[in-house]
Amino acid sequence: MYRKVQAGLGALLVGVLAAQGFRRFRQKGPGQMKMMKVQGKSSLSVMGRNTAAAVCALALFGGVPAARAADPLQPDPELEAVTLSAPKPSWIFVERGFVMPGNAIYDTDTGKMLGLIEASELSDMEIDPAGKAYYISESIWTKGWRGTRQDMITVYDAATLKLKTEIAIPGRILIDSRKFNFILSDQGKTAYVYNLDPASSVNMVDLAKGKFIKKIELPGCASMMAVTGIGFSALCSDGSLATVKTAGAKPEITRSAPFFSATNDPIFDNFGYDRAKQQVVFLTYTGQVYTAKLGATPTVAEPFSIQAAAGVPAGETKPLVVNWYPGSRQGNAYHVASGHLFVLMHMGEYWSHKASGTEIWDLDVAAKKVVKRIPLEEPADRIAVTQEANAKIVVTNDAGTLVILDANTGEQKSSIKRAGSGLIRTVEP
Amino acid sequence: MKTFNPDAMGEKLLRRFAGGTSRRGILSRLGLALVAAPAFPLLPVSRASAAKPDRSPEAKTAFARSAQTTDDTKCTYWRYCAIDGSLCACCGGAVNRCPPGAEHSPVSWVGTCINPGDGRAYLIAYRDCCGKSYCNKCDCDGTDRETQLYVPQLNNDVIWCFGTTSMEYHCSTAVLVGTA
Repeated sequence: MYRKVQAGLGALLVGVLAAQGFRRFRQKGPGQMKMMKVQGKSSLSVMGRNTAAAVCALALFGGVPAARAADPLQPDPELEAVTLSAPKPSWIFVERGFVMPGNAIYDTDTGKMLGLIEASELSDMEIDPAGKAYYISESIWTKGWRGTRQDMITVYDAATLKLKTEIAIPGRILIDSRKFNFILSDQGKTAYVYNLDPASSVNMVDLAKGKFIKKIELPGCASMMAVTGIGFSALCSDGSLATVKTAGAKPEITRSAPFFSATNDPIFDNFGYDRAKQQVVFLTYTGQVYTAKLGATPTVAEPFSIQAAAGVPAGETKPLVVNWYPGSRQGNAYHVASGHLFVLMHMGEYWSHKASGTEIWDLDVAAKKVVKRIPLEEPADRIAVTQEANAKIVVTNDAGTLVILDANTGEQKSSIKRAGSGLIRTVEP
Repeated sequence: MKTFNPDAMGEKLLRRFAGGTSRRGILSRLGLALVAAPAFPLLPVSRASAAKPDRSPEAKTAFARSAQTTDDTKCTYWRYCAIDGSLCACCGGAVNRCPPGAEHSPVSWVGTCINPGDGRAYLIAYRDCCGKSYCNKCDCDGTDRETQLYVPQLNNDVIWCFGTTSMEYHCSTAVLVGTA
C-alpha cells in the first residue's frame, strides 16, 4: 500500500511539473498579461490542467487508481484564531524566562502548548477565579525601554487571549520569578501589586471597577498572601508576619511576634498557600517548615525540619556541613487538597539556596513525614504541582526543558523542550 | 507626598543615639572592653582558629574557600560572593565600571565578601548598569548571605536600576565600599 501511494505521489509530482512547464510556455506568449489576471481571479483552470497532467502521468507510470489521486487539496478557508476554554486544572502557565516576554500555556495531559498570554518582561500573572480573564501586572515604556514608564494591570480575555482593558497603577517592582508580588483577593474583585522604588508599598486595585484605589506604605515587608475580609499578610524583615486591613480610609498594619530570622535562616518568598483555608506553608533555607493560619491575628505553629521528616540530620546554618538542603529559584509547590509540599532538594552547604534540585521530596505536612523521594534525571530549577486529584509535578531547568511527572508514582510522563525557564503557575482553588 | 529621605533618617538615628548615651557611659564601656579583651584569646573558639587570618564564619562558605583575586571575569572572583546577573567585566565594562553607554545605578544591594589575599571581610555594593538590553555574558549567581525580597538590600534578584534614566538591566558591577 505504501509503495502504491509513493508511486502515485511521484506521478502526481511529475504531472504538476508538467503543468507548470505548460504554464511557463504559455506565459512567454502574447497572452501573458491576460493569463496572469485569470490566475489571480481563480485557480480553477490551473487546477484543471494540473489534474489532467496528473491523470496522464498516472496512465503512463501506473499506480493508484486515477480517481483517488485526482482530488487535490482544497485551499484553506479564511479561519478565525483558535479560542480556549476556561483554564483547566491540568493547565500550567510558564514564564518564558528572564527578560523574555510572555506566559506560555501548556496542557499537562497532552504536553501541548495551547497559547501565549502576552506579557512584558519581568511581569506577573494572575488567573481570574471565574476563569474569564488573565491579569498581567506589567511595566512598559513609550519608546521600548526608553520614554515614559507606564505600569498597569493588563486584562486579557481567557477565551481569545485578546486585550480587554488596561488599568493604570502608579508603580510595581521589577523582579524575576516571584509568585506573591501580584495577588487577587475577594473572589478576584481586588488586586494587590507590590512596589519597590526602593521604598516598599502595595498598590490596591479594584478589578471589578477597573480602577486603582490606593497606595499602602509597607516598610520592611514583602510577598503577600490574600486574607479574606481583611486584606493581606506579608513576610517582614524582622521575622514577623504583617497583616494589613485595607478596607478603611487609613490602612491598619499589625505585626505578629517575630518567629524566624530574615537574615540568618530566611523563609523562601515562594511558598505554599491554600487560599480557601487561609493556611500557608513556609520553608526556610535550612529546611524548617512553618505552617500558619492567617486571619486578623495569624497563628504560627512550631516548625519542624524537612530533613528530620525524611530521617536525615536537620539542616544547619553552620558552615562546612554538607547535607540535604532545599533550594532553587521556585523550590517548592503545595498540593492543596492533599496537603503535600513538593520540595526541590540538593546536597550542599548552607547558603546554597539557589542551587538546582537533584531530588523532589514529597512532604506530608500534617504528618510531618517525607513520604517519597524522587531522584531527577536532570537537576531542576523550578517546581509546580497541578491541583488535580491525580496531581502532576512539573519541573523545569534554566535551559527551559519541562518535565511532567506523576505526583503519586514519581514516574516521568512527558517532557517539552524549550518550554520556558521562568516561573510556573497553576490553576489554584 | 512622603518620599524616602536618608538624611532625615540619619539625623533621627544620630539624635536618638546622642540622647541615649553619655560620655561617661562610653568611657566606662571602653574601660570594660579594655579590661575584658585579654580574656578572649583564652576561649577555645579563638584558640582553634588563631592560625587563620580571618576568624569569622563567613570565611568558611563554599564560595569563600574557592574565591580568587586575579580574574574578575570569573564567577569565583572574591567580590562576586553575592552577585547575580551578567558581569560587567565581561560586557565591555570593568568590575566597578559600566560598559560604554550604560548608566550606573546610584543604589544597590550589598554583600559581605572575604578577600582571600588579606583574609578581611569587605562590604561590596552590587551596582547594576542600566539603560541597555541584557548583556547575557558571564552569568553568575553568588548567594553568600543573600536573602529574600522582604530584605531587599540583601536580595540579588531585584532589578536595582533605581534613579537611572532607564530601568533596563544590562549587567552588574561589584564596587568595593570598605572593610565590613
